[in-house]
Amino acid sequence: MSAVRAAVQGNRGSEPRARGGRRLGTSLAYLTLAIIGIFCLIPFSWPILASLDPQAGPYLAVPTQWSLANFGRLLSDPTWLRLLLNSMILSGGATIVALATSVLGGYALSRFAFRGRRVLLFGILFTRIIPASATIAPLYFIVLRLGLANTYHGVILVEAAQQLPLTLWMMKGFFDTVPRELEEAAWIDGADRLGSAIRIVLPLAMPGVGAAALFAFIAVWGDFLTPLILLQSPDLFPISIGLFRAYIGYNLVDWGELAATSILYMLPAIAFYLLVRRYLLRATVVGALQGT
Amino acid sequence: MAGPSHRLLIAGYLAPALLLLAVFVVAPVLGAIGLSLTNETLTGPDALAPRFVGLTNYGRLLADSEFYASFLRSGAFVFFSALVGQFVLGLLAALLLARPLLRGKGLFGGAILLPLVVPETVASLAWASMLAPAEFGTVNRMIGGAGFAPIAWLQAYPLQSIIVINIWRGIAFAMILFQAALEGIPRELAEAAQVDGASAWQQLRLITLPLLRGAIVLYMLLTTIATFGVFGLIYFLTQGGPGKATSVMSIYIYNHAFNFFEIGLGSAASVMMLAVVLVIGLVYVRLLRAEI
Repeated sequence: MSAVRAAVQGNRGSEPRARGGRRLGTSLAYLTLAIIGIFCLIPFSWPILASLDPQAGPYLAVPTQWSLANFGRLLSDPTWLRLLLNSMILSGGATIVALATSVLGGYALSRFAFRGRRVLLFGILFTRIIPASATIAPLYFIVLRLGLANTYHGVILVEAAQQLPLTLWMMKGFFDTVPRELEEAAWIDGADRLGSAIRIVLPLAMPGVGAAALFAFIAVWGDFLTPLILLQSPDLFPISIGLFRAYIGYNLVDWGELAATSILYMLPAIAFYLLVRRYLLRATVVGALQGT
Repeated sequence: MAGPSHRLLIAGYLAPALLLLAVFVVAPVLGAIGLSLTNETLTGPDALAPRFVGLTNYGRLLADSEFYASFLRSGAFVFFSALVGQFVLGLLAALLLARPLLRGKGLFGGAILLPLVVPETVASLAWASMLAPAEFGTVNRMIGGAGFAPIAWLQAYPLQSIIVINIWRGIAFAMILFQAALEGIPRELAEAAQVDGASAWQQLRLITLPLLRGAIVLYMLLTTIATFGVFGLIYFLTQGGPGKATSVMSIYIYNHAFNFFEIGLGSAASVMMLAVVLVIGLVYVRLLRAEI
């Protein structure tokens, strides 16, 4: 800090001192960011190294020989392929349900003026703050009574519902950005409301639909709690549960395979981030800062 | 303007989304209140015919020292990991990354984001090797280099360990929010202050922080709600142990419902947790309404 102060004072005083101070300030900035960055990256060193080590154990070690054997074993392991398939079914299914319902609902929230619209909007936002971990017992009972316990579609519906507050708000926001005039022009040309919505508004809001879909997919992809509560059959478990069960079976763990699993499991999440970078803030605060 | 047919149309668009939300998000909240007034269990005679027991569960809860302990652990977990740790490091990262002429912003930002982006089970697994006991754990190796004896972190310092892990995971959440807020502050303000000879600390204290006040309040509310609900990150590593050392509210609720089969008592705890979150949520929605 004092270095920066020297730089500020240097504006009025000697030029070399200012440059030196600024350089020190910059070095401090780099140093601080490097320390935070290393803190954030170090925990990933074990999964990365162990996944490439045919003799991997639970501890960090530089492989004596490097190989992709762990990944090879995964791809021929029916248990792992089952987990992967289940994760894709659950995430894909929930994404489709959440998006289909929130395209419709988001359109209504964006385009129709009706009494209670504002209250409804904030009510939906409000449901987003309910922690899933607080309502697990009643949720389990509801799913049980509906005959949906221990099924794909039970988890899919619950996960979709949990994503809805976010996807509804996102879709409403994206529909808001499509000018009404475009639609109105189509009505004058004789198109009906639904037709014009599908043919004119939806294509223009497509990047938004894509972004909302990615958010929903990756949230369900990473979820651990809902499948933990609703699923009992190992045949239905997604990767998150598979990782957990493998890990708590401590002595029987194939660490190399576990590490490789975690690497493959996190890759879609990283790809997702690279794709939706610019929507990240909007989703984080549900369009709170920049008034949706 | 809303005629009967028009109203029907709006309802049709909104119905699927609202139905899902009602059944799987709102009903569990009401269900928690209902169940908390019964002696429902998962097994035994009471499972089939639960009786209304009034406020008995709340009485038991308030007499349960373990409940208070869980509540306090949640409080400490939220306060130290989210309100202090993530806040300080995230704000620091955002301020430093906002410096002009800094190179490698993408690299630093990406490193800080990675812990937040990966699935929570991967985050936990990565820390399992970090905190592994004996001299092989990554952290023990680092402190071993400085001559310290190895520590079984998750046994000796369980709550502190999960606090550090959650700080690690959430720095990016604070960073994203504050980066966006900082973008809204005109650069001319900083330049004018510099010309007037303000030190960097004065600029931060007198200009930047007051202008960030809205974002800081928003962050505190959002992160408190989100951190109260954290379950998987902790459960994966400790299942609430050793003993009850990491049994925060979410784990207390899970254990009472699914391991001790005391749905009634667990639901009473859920209602208490929901009450805390809903109060914070009301403040949040109030502030948002004022802003939009």
